[in-house]
Amino acid sequence: MKKRYLIFLSISAAAILLFVLTVFPDKGSPKLKLSSPIPVILKANTSKPFDFWSVIKRGVTEASREFDMEFYFTGPEFEKDTELQAKIMEEIIKDKPPLIILAATEYEGMVKNVEDAVKAGIPVITIDSGVNSDVPISFIATDNMEAGRKAGYAMSEILKKSDNRKIAIVSYVKNTATAIDRENGVRETTKDLEYLETRFCNGDRQKAYEITLELIEKYNDLAGIIALNEPSALGVAQAIDDTGKKDTIKVVGFDNAPEEMEYLEKGVLKAIVIQKPFNMGYLSMKTAYEYLSGKTVETFINTGSLLITVENMYHQELQEVLFPFGE
Amino acid sequence: MKNTLRLKTLDSRIYLTFTILIFIMILIMQVVSYYSASASIRVNAIETNRMLLNRLATQLNFYLDDMEQIIDNVIIEEEVEQLLILSENEENSVLSRDIEEKLSTFHKARRDIFSIAIFGYNEHIVLDNSLAELNEFARYKEAPWYQGAAELNGKPYVSSSYVQNIIKGKFSWVVSMSKEIRDLGIVLIDLKFIRIQELCNSLTPGKKGYIFIVDQLGNYIYHPSQQLVYSGIKREPVQSILRNETVFEEGKNYLSVTSEKSGWRICSVSFEDEIMDSWKNVQYYYVFIGLISFIIVGFATTFISQSITKPVRTLCNAMKTVESGEFHAIGEIQATSEIQELAYEYNIMIGKINELMQTIVSEQESKRKSDLKALQAQINPHFLYNTLDSIIWMGEMNRSDDVVRMTSALSKLFRISISKGKEIISIKDEIHHVTSYLTIQEMRYKDKFNYTIDIDEEIMHCKTLKITLQPLVENSIYHGVKSVDYEGLIEITGRRVDDNIILKVSDNGKGMNKEELDAILNTNTSKTRQGTGVMNVHERVRLYFGDSYGLEFNSIEGIGTEITVKIPYMEDEVL
Repeated sequence: MKKRYLIFLSISAAAILLFVLTVFPDKGSPKLKLSSPIPVILKANTSKPFDFWSVIKRGVTEASREFDMEFYFTGPEFEKDTELQAKIMEEIIKDKPPLIILAATEYEGMVKNVEDAVKAGIPVITIDSGVNSDVPISFIATDNMEAGRKAGYAMSEILKKSDNRKIAIVSYVKNTATAIDRENGVRETTKDLEYLETRFCNGDRQKAYEITLELIEKYNDLAGIIALNEPSALGVAQAIDDTGKKDTIKVVGFDNAPEEMEYLEKGVLKAIVIQKPFNMGYLSMKTAYEYLSGKTVETFINTGSLLITVENMYHQELQEVLFPFGE
Repeated sequence: MKNTLRLKTLDSRIYLTFTILIFIMILIMQVVSYYSASASIRVNAIETNRMLLNRLATQLNFYLDDMEQIIDNVIIEEEVEQLLILSENEENSVLSRDIEEKLSTFHKARRDIFSIAIFGYNEHIVLDNSLAELNEFARYKEAPWYQGAAELNGKPYVSSSYVQNIIKGKFSWVVSMSKEIRDLGIVLIDLKFIRIQELCNSLTPGKKGYIFIVDQLGNYIYHPSQQLVYSGIKREPVQSILRNETVFEEGKNYLSVTSEKSGWRICSVSFEDEIMDSWKNVQYYYVFIGLISFIIVGFATTFISQSITKPVRTLCNAMKTVESGEFHAIGEIQATSEIQELAYEYNIMIGKINELMQTIVSEQESKRKSDLKALQAQINPHFLYNTLDSIIWMGEMNRSDDVVRMTSALSKLFRISISKGKEIISIKDEIHHVTSYLTIQEMRYKDKFNYTIDIDEEIMHCKTLKITLQPLVENSIYHGVKSVDYEGLIEITGRRVDDNIILKVSDNGKGMNKEELDAILNTNTSKTRQGTGVMNVHERVRLYFGDSYGLEFNSIEGIGTEITVKIPYMEDEVL
């Protein structure tokens, strides 16, 4: 008899517990219980204030605070260290974290590591630079085609009334996914211009400088150069500034290093296309939260890009993207 | 279990009632305390946040007051005026360097200042650092701080947060304060914005909460995730915040205060779920209390129902024995006073019933006895009539001796048979009675039979039922010796055998065949008076002394009959 009562009791107790918790539901987002912190593997784990990666970090930190998630940053110190990143990834897979956020150093080189993680049951979210695989649950990055189209559009607008329509492209690393996308984007919107050639500086500012000098020599009627990333843009801008050809050769660049801002003010750079690394970082953690909460997530999230000219660079909404908060 | 579910048993009803009651009670308590607690928690949280915000606003005002103080100190410097009244083309490098030095001193005193500068309407510009170079591309005259100060005519202008670019190669987030110097120029102080940012970050409400600042128009001055806000990923109800002190939206509490000096609206955002975090614990307490109550109810129900049902069941069982005809009282039981009362009343009832039963039994018995007495009485008139006939006949024959003898025997017979109404008499009297009878009969049936009486002296004073032997002797005469052609003999003996007395009446008459014997033994079918008499004796003996006593017949046709009477050995001192 008593045993039956106790069954009755536990059912009632369970019912009341359930009832109590459903009558007074949690407001806001429920906390996720993570077995261990989420590793965020960056291309370069730096903390330089205006650096692209430190802005990503700020975004990640902000989201993790909002969604109450534990995380840690890791990654090689310098961008091109695929070997080290692969090694870090291997170690992390052994720890079996609930999820991995990765900015891959190589589109092909990191495929195996990412697939290993997924095989081990760890979902992977890629940010900024993806891998040539469809196993990551989401890829959060700038749509580089779109960014390229913006740069190309700017150049075609600048040269609209000019008789001279010859342009060259200074890219960074050949066969890099983002470089290919950006170049394709540029080419798409510069069909009314005369395309000369694309040169690669391998991410070296000095090389870009030299390439620019060569281009000036080679084509005496060169009207514009589009530089596809930060070191390319800085090298090109410096060369144009040094040769005093800022009015004859128009430059459109990418990214927002403080020095680029000076060139923009000075009129050497006519326009730049910038990414939104803060949003990228924030959305990566938000997507991780949503995925781990059982929601479906987009396989590609475009964090967007902005076209900046000297006219709008001090606009309220753009200032924080151009000049991230910091000392 | 079926009963429990069907709510037929007492305990299941008690249990369910209590459980539902507790359930409802806890829920009501929960609801009431949720509303009161959440209100007070929220008020507390808002109070705490308000204090926090006021502290922040005060600190901001401090900053701005300090800045204004510095500006005023700059303005009153004589050299500043001297420089600003120079014409556009006049150079005075000594004066400039002097002012530069002074500005530098002010700058060095405060680490949170990005730059101090004077912009004369005469195009003379002095920065606070000799190494700093004015950014030639900075269109400072279009900047809000320049135009704002010019409009305000000597009142301080406070800018929003923005990226200051007046110094070449430096971009810094600042908040500027600027003031016009008597139509001569403008003094500018740039406060490093990171200080305000740090201040906001150091005073966040809760773990997830944050602070942001907007200006009077709702433009963001500071937001920890400004880019998300501009990208539309995050949205803040800025318009309601500007109008109301507190705003509740999507589980977030917005509380805002206005900083007087700057006119900024400082807003703290705290999350409802964090505020109500402590409430969670209260909920667990309720669940715990509920659980404990349920367990207590479970045990209490078992106890209470048992204390009710157990005595009731005892009562039931006791009552069930009545069905089988036994009337037992229950006796003391452990129960509540109500049940005890019930048991007490039952006991009284059973007592009454027993009493009634006994009355009925004794009434029945006495009724039968009176019936028997009536039967007994039936013997007498028949016999009397015959005897009186004989007396008359003898009187006619002038046999006066015989008349006397028979009449005295008859008188004796009657005296003993009356015996003052007593049923029990001594064997001696009984022998006298049967002797009297035999005397009368012997005289009536002359020479028909003889008789002997042989009774142990030892049993003479013992008790017997009156008129036991006479009907048997009568039977012996009428069914035995009367119809034989030889002289019959009736023997009467009395002996003690163990604790019993055996009286025997035997004759050597014609005996009885089976039909006759049956007729005697079965009084109901018998129409003979004699049979009635013998069976009457048997019944009476059994009635008085018990079933183990009575008569026994032994008869063989042509040889004779022997009737044995068995009665208990009882001495009678009184008689």
